[in-house]
Formats: sequence, structure tokens, C-alpha cells
Amino acid sequence: MNLSGSNKSSPNEKQRTSFHVWRDPPASGGWNMAADEALARQSEETNRVLMRLYGWHPHTVSLGSFQRSVDFSERLELSHWPVVRRPSGGGAIIHGTDLTYGLAVPGSHDWSRGTEKLYTAVHGALVEELSERHLSARMVDATSRETEQSFYCFNRRAFGDLVVEDASGTSPHGNHKILGSAQRRLSGVVLQHGSLLLHRNPHIQGEGSHVGLGDVLQAGSVNDVIDGWLERLADRMNGELIAETSPSYEKENDEIVRRTQRYESVAWLHRR
Amino acid sequence: MEKSRRYAKSHEWARLEDDGTVTVGISAYAVEALTDLVFMQLPDVGATVTAGESFGEIESVKAVSDLYAPISGKVVAANTDLPSQLETLGSDPYGSGWVIRIEPDSVEQLEALMNQEAYDELIGG
Repeated sequence: MNLSGSNKSSPNEKQRTSFHVWRDPPASGGWNMAADEALARQSEETNRVLMRLYGWHPHTVSLGSFQRSVDFSERLELSHWPVVRRPSGGGAIIHGTDLTYGLAVPGSHDWSRGTEKLYTAVHGALVEELSERHLSARMVDATSRETEQSFYCFNRRAFGDLVVEDASGTSPHGNHKILGSAQRRLSGVVLQHGSLLLHRNPHIQGEGSHVGLGDVLQAGSVNDVIDGWLERLADRMNGELIAETSPSYEKENDEIVRRTQRYESVAWLHRR
Repeated sequence: MEKSRRYAKSHEWARLEDDGTVTVGISAYAVEALTDLVFMQLPDVGATVTAGESFGEIESVKAVSDLYAPISGKVVAANTDLPSQLETLGSDPYGSGWVIRIEPDSVEQLEALMNQEAYDELIGG
């Protein structure tokens, strides 16, 4: 498996890294997964940290890599939703009112070692930004363990999950999880997926309905928070944030079309 | 061929057995680094595996990782108890926590893997 080498410091650890960020237009589940996979391969080839932020059209449910497709099929509230299986782990996410990110870190980068450094960097940067805006946010600590895992990602609590205070008293957890992430550790590169809930999705009720950042933010806009988050993430990496203007997949369109077919296949969806 | 454990850079270990098969597992270092394992997928007996390519997957609470074959050959046994007893990977990674057994295309492939000293160097031990 890829734990990305050893505990030793790599020569480029102290170098300033270029951190490329794309904000891609909303796309289908299969396309988004394929574009993230292409991003990971590009990161490995260029030895750069790459990130794409994107939405979903149409609104789609994504399953974690090891979730059973029958657990999705049995949920009547999701019967009309498109579904895709992610290459990364974790629970199901209803996409549509969230901002999803794919972050690819090459194996030579310090953040690729182990699993926790990358979570701490990404989620910690958002905790800082939210705290600056007087929103009580924190990461779930390492002692948190669940014996039974919920179907939905945002009903789970695990180390590193970003939660905000539940001022309304409506959450059984006593807090609202607004950012969850999961990794796929590939040969030579780590792909981290994450979903930042922006608003409660009006098209879903019950246990799949969750509070988003915009629902609890007291001051400033969601976009301001995202801009600040990315700047802080670049700072943590000692990196230079490079905001790309064209879509991330402009040069690899044909390759992504090919990869999309796999993610849209019945075999991939029902592999578990 | 020495019958001590050899290691791949991707943290799988391989050990030549008396019957000529090679037992494959995951190093204690890797198991500890993954933390909180929840799922594992093994290959079918009879499947062909290729050195350096994925033969299975393992999921911890926060990450899905591929398991890479340290050598090429045919899978002759899989530890099917393991997915329901993942704690065994941590408690006995070089014994009852074995993952698969391979009939190797050639035992010489093991020479390309790291010995204990080189692996300890890799993980900074």
C-alpha cells in the first residue's frame, strides 16, 4: 500500500511549493470522479500539489468505496437520485448543496505520509478561518470511535471531521459536521476527497438532511470563507496559491471521458 | 534462498515457505500507520497477481489503500478469516495476520525485495 515512503525528511520538504487550484463547473458524478483520478495522476507526474473544487449536476449521491450498493438501493428517499461510487472511503454523501474538493498530493510531499497530516492540514485551515469569523468550529479528536457506522457521511464522527457548535440543539451529536474527507492512497500519490456542506439541501428530509456552513455563518459570505480557507491551506504548505482560470481537465478531456465510462458502469457501482 | 521475510517498498512482506509457496502480509509499521481498519477485500484463490500491481484493497476509517503484490504468481490461498477479524493484522501481522499465499512464477523475484535491515532503514527504524 502507499504510505508514501519513510519517516525521513525528503529534500524538498522545506521548499516553497506551488499549489494549483481549479474551480471547475458542476458535472456528473462519473465525470467528477474521473477528473479527480486524472488530477491525481497529473500530480504524480508533475510532483505538484493540485486541488479542484467543484459542484454536481445533476445532484448526485456518492457512495464510499466499500459501501454496499444494496444499502443505497434500499433507501426509498434516494430512489430517484443518480448515484456514483467514489474511489475514496467513508459514508454516502448527497451532493448538490455542497462544495466538493479533490486534493492530490504527490508521494514526495510531507503531507502524503500517514493519513492524518493531510486531514489536519485541510480541516485545520478551515477551523482557523471559521474561528477568525467567531464561529465555534473544531476537529473531532482522536479518541472518538464508533462501533456502528451510519450510512451517511455527515452522520458519522471520526478523527479530523470538522464540526461546528449546535446552537439550535437539533443535532443528536451536539454538533453539526460540515466538512468530511476521505482518502484514496494510490501508488505515488494521495487523493483526498472532501465535501463542505454549504446549505441544507431542500430536496432531502430525515437523516440525510444536514446543516451547512451558510446556515450557521454569522458574518461574511461562504465564498469569503472558502477564499480564506485556501489561503490558509497554502500558508500551511508554505506554498504559493495559484488560482487556475481554465477547467482542470482542459488538456485531458479524452482521458477523462474514458475514465468516466468506468465510473458510470454497473460493474463499478455494484462491485460491493 | 533465505527464508526470512522480505519487504516491498509498498510495505507488504513476503516469506518463502517450505513447500515453495510465498506467504504475503502487511508490515506491522503499515498496519499501525493505517489505524482503525474497517474493511478488506482479498483476491480469489486461483487469481493471477503481478508484482507491483494491486491485488486487494483495505479501508481504514480515513483512507482506502491498495495492496500491491510483492511478486508475480498465482494465488493458492487467501486468509478469508481476516476481513472479519482485522484486529489480527495488528496483533500478529507476521503470523495469523497473513493475507494471501502465492505460487510464485519464480522464487528469484524475492531477491529484488528488501531485507529486514533495508526495510528498517526505509521506515526510519
